[in-house]
Amino acid sequence: MKGTIHNEESFLANIAKNLGRPVIIEGISLPVWKNSPQREVLKQATPNELVEELQEQCKRVHTEFHLTDSTQVKHRLNQVIEQLGNGPLIIPKDDRFSEYELDDLLLEKDTFVWDHQAGRKNIEKAERANIGITFSEMTLAESATVVLFNSKDHGRSISFLPSCHVSIIPKSTIVPRMTQAAAAIRSKVSRGEVIPSCINFITGPSNSADIEMDLVVGVHGPIKAVYIVVEDK
Amino acid sequence: MAMKTSSAKFKERVDEGLHNDFMRMAVSSAQERLHGRRLTAVDELGNWEDWRSLGQEIRQHVLANLDFYLHQLAENVSKRGGLVFFAETAEEASGYIKDVIVNKKAKKIVKSKSMVTEEINLNAALEAIGLDVVETDLGEYILQVDDHDPPSHIVAPALHKNKEQIREVFKEKLGYTQTEKPEELTAHVRGILRKDFLSADVGITGCNFAIAETGSIGLVTNEGNADLVTALPKTQITVMGMERLVPTFDEFEVLVSLLTRSAVGQRLTSYITALTGPRDEGDVDGPEEFHLVIVDNGRSSILGTEFQSVLQCIRCAACINVCPVYRQVGGHSYGSIYPGPIGAVLSPLLGGYDDFKELPYASTLCAACTEACPVKIPLHDLLRKHREVIVEKEKMAPFSEKMAMKAFGIGAASPMLYKFGSKMVPSAMSPFKTGDSISKGPGPLKSWTESREFPAPGKESFRDWFKNREKGGNPS
Amino acid sequence: MKVTLFATCLVDLFQSNVGKATVELLERLGCEIDFPESQICCGQPAYNSGYTKDSKEAMKKMIRTFADAEHIVTPSGSCAAMFKEYPVLFQGDVEWEKKAISLAEKTYELTQFIVDVLKVTDVGATFKGKATYHTSCHMTRLLKVKEAPSILLSHVKGLEMTPLPDAQNCCGFGGTFSVKMGDISGQMVEEKVCNIQDTGADFLIGGDSGCLMNIGGRIQRKGEPIQVLHIAEVLNGM
Repeated sequence: MKGTIHNEESFLANIAKNLGRPVIIEGISLPVWKNSPQREVLKQATPNELVEELQEQCKRVHTEFHLTDSTQVKHRLNQVIEQLGNGPLIIPKDDRFSEYELDDLLLEKDTFVWDHQAGRKNIEKAERANIGITFSEMTLAESATVVLFNSKDHGRSISFLPSCHVSIIPKSTIVPRMTQAAAAIRSKVSRGEVIPSCINFITGPSNSADIEMDLVVGVHGPIKAVYIVVEDK
Repeated sequence: MAMKTSSAKFKERVDEGLHNDFMRMAVSSAQERLHGRRLTAVDELGNWEDWRSLGQEIRQHVLANLDFYLHQLAENVSKRGGLVFFAETAEEASGYIKDVIVNKKAKKIVKSKSMVTEEINLNAALEAIGLDVVETDLGEYILQVDDHDPPSHIVAPALHKNKEQIREVFKEKLGYTQTEKPEELTAHVRGILRKDFLSADVGITGCNFAIAETGSIGLVTNEGNADLVTALPKTQITVMGMERLVPTFDEFEVLVSLLTRSAVGQRLTSYITALTGPRDEGDVDGPEEFHLVIVDNGRSSILGTEFQSVLQCIRCAACINVCPVYRQVGGHSYGSIYPGPIGAVLSPLLGGYDDFKELPYASTLCAACTEACPVKIPLHDLLRKHREVIVEKEKMAPFSEKMAMKAFGIGAASPMLYKFGSKMVPSAMSPFKTGDSISKGPGPLKSWTESREFPAPGKESFRDWFKNREKGGNPS
Repeated sequence: MKVTLFATCLVDLFQSNVGKATVELLERLGCEIDFPESQICCGQPAYNSGYTKDSKEAMKKMIRTFADAEHIVTPSGSCAAMFKEYPVLFQGDVEWEKKAISLAEKTYELTQFIVDVLKVTDVGATFKGKATYHTSCHMTRLLKVKEAPSILLSHVKGLEMTPLPDAQNCCGFGGTFSVKMGDISGQMVEEKVCNIQDTGADFLIGGDSGCLMNIGGRIQRKGEPIQVLHIAEVLNGM
């Protein structure tokens, strides 16, 4: 489906006139920027150091941090779910739940798996869910941020509507900062891939300091956030 | 709300601000916290000057090639099925949005925080045709519930209110019965707004940065309200100031880092979202229809002028958070939705000198704003340039000031006259002297001596001392 | 070393003590002082009020006055910063641009000159008392002289320095701002003075006469026993 564009010509003509030149709509290439400090942040960090950075930053963004391995992830996730008051749960349709052998656990826990054919029901389920569980596609150590690519199998509501958000972070997804995530998205674009209609960079729970600058955690989105980092197999 | 938030005169507004003790306490404590957080965030990042230079370079490049990037953005939005509308005026923008909503037969609209929608007076236009418009940013919501109290800060719009006042507003308007604890106030709003999100027909957002290469809209919040506004209603309308875009995800990332650190001292805010087009086929949430409204509303007339750099602004409010004048008078004194140094530069450009000619003078030119700006806008110098325009082009300066400055120009350029004048000063001032200072000054000095002593000129000027000393007289 | 003194109009008219101290201090450090009589004002009051054209006449006068100087030294961060701004003002002016650049290049604020050019960090001064320092905005932000005053003060014998809370905030002077927006300015200086009082210092030291006039005026009005001194006076203390 192609969209439409209205009033572009006169709008751009006016801009060009004020800039004192004819309209330019092609032929501009990105300059090489004189500075690139963003590439220096955590440049030399080893994977373990990135985990440490992530863990440290979690404290500042009110997010519970767990580190485990693939044999223990089921056990750890179970603990986390119980601690958060159990289900209902909502999860995306994602093969990684099977890969990490979490299916049995989730079956026990009143879990709804996102089903795009069920339409609006998904949103109702998400709204009533206590916990939404996601896998982080990329994880930014500097800011303790998980990156989610939404799709028909991975509804946006999973990470917004439930009271708690648990994100499982395969250790190999951890990168220094948003710089690397942006580069990864750009390389998708340059390969001609279509990027998801919604990409989330989520850092801890929802919060606001709009009343007397006092931080209140849990405004519109989740009130609690938990990250479970899993060592690579 | 439009640009202008008050019909009171500048002096009256300032007077009210200076006498609002609570507001002043709230502002100074907020400034201190935000200042501290920003400095920490900047320090731990390191290379801050390189970051600022990079931010500046990106913004300058985009402004110099704005038509190119807007074209690229529009093409890419439409490739993904989005509907792009370029609006030269506020009326065109709100007219278009109104039509979209009316055609959808929509009743309830949820909004996430957007300064440009304030600027084009969108809420009033929608409410005038009977629509239910709900602001979902907590601060904006508080103001809306309180009979549309104007925002006093571009990041923390309800900064001027304390929790007791908010409790009273909620009690009166929402039947709220709990305490003034921010947690309880917030939980109450969460309950109300959750229903609004789920039942809204249209979601309206602003745009922190659009990404030209992918046709994406970048939204930055801590509350996550922009995500609910765009995930749940069937129609999404995003309104952006025409300069708010970046070439690619790489530059988006840099500017977001500058924004979140400068605005709130966070490495990243809780929710940063890049939305591209309407929902994909098969998606259950996200809008079925996506409109992008790109607003000029006076911005193009700033391009190509000595004020062009103000369009580099990323609306972080760092300049507001360090401004010693804002600290005393608060946001409402500016009478514009854009307060503080950025507001004092931007408001006269977008809203005209008639309404905002005093704002460029509400600064000591201390340059704290310029120093704080993450994209290196020379704000204090732009304030001075405004004064130059007001004096030399608009001819709006008061007659007495013009005469004084003429006299200064002549006096300061002529040593003879200066000498004569400076000799006159001590005797001219002597009637006002008590001891070695003046407590009740004449003319413009009165404004000084309301709160402090003015020194009486010494009997012997420095130059006389130096001359005598050279002659061998008057040893020190 | 030959130094041409730019005293500034505030010092000339209101604070001749500061001028005297500057002369004596620099002479003690081995400088030979020259004071061209045709100097008046850097033009900042008119320039900052938007009267650029009018201020340019004053500026040209200053450029001529200091044309032959080797080092121009002034006991004011703000006025030094104004000299440094001249090249921007005369950009593209065939007759004046080069001269403006030359003026700017040889201009120094007093403490900057002592530390950066004379390479002296201990001027051998003694001053007994507890003091706090007001970092003036134009000196730190426009001229970017941030360290020199505190380096010099740290070597003054007998002087105890105590930090000033919210030091980064402007005192509210701002030239014509102080009369044009007198009520706002009054609140700003009141906050500054409260912070100074909180330090328990007996002396408030600064490097810009405008700020000192403003802060001193408020201290005097409140009847506080805090003495206001220009840094030249403290460094000249023997």
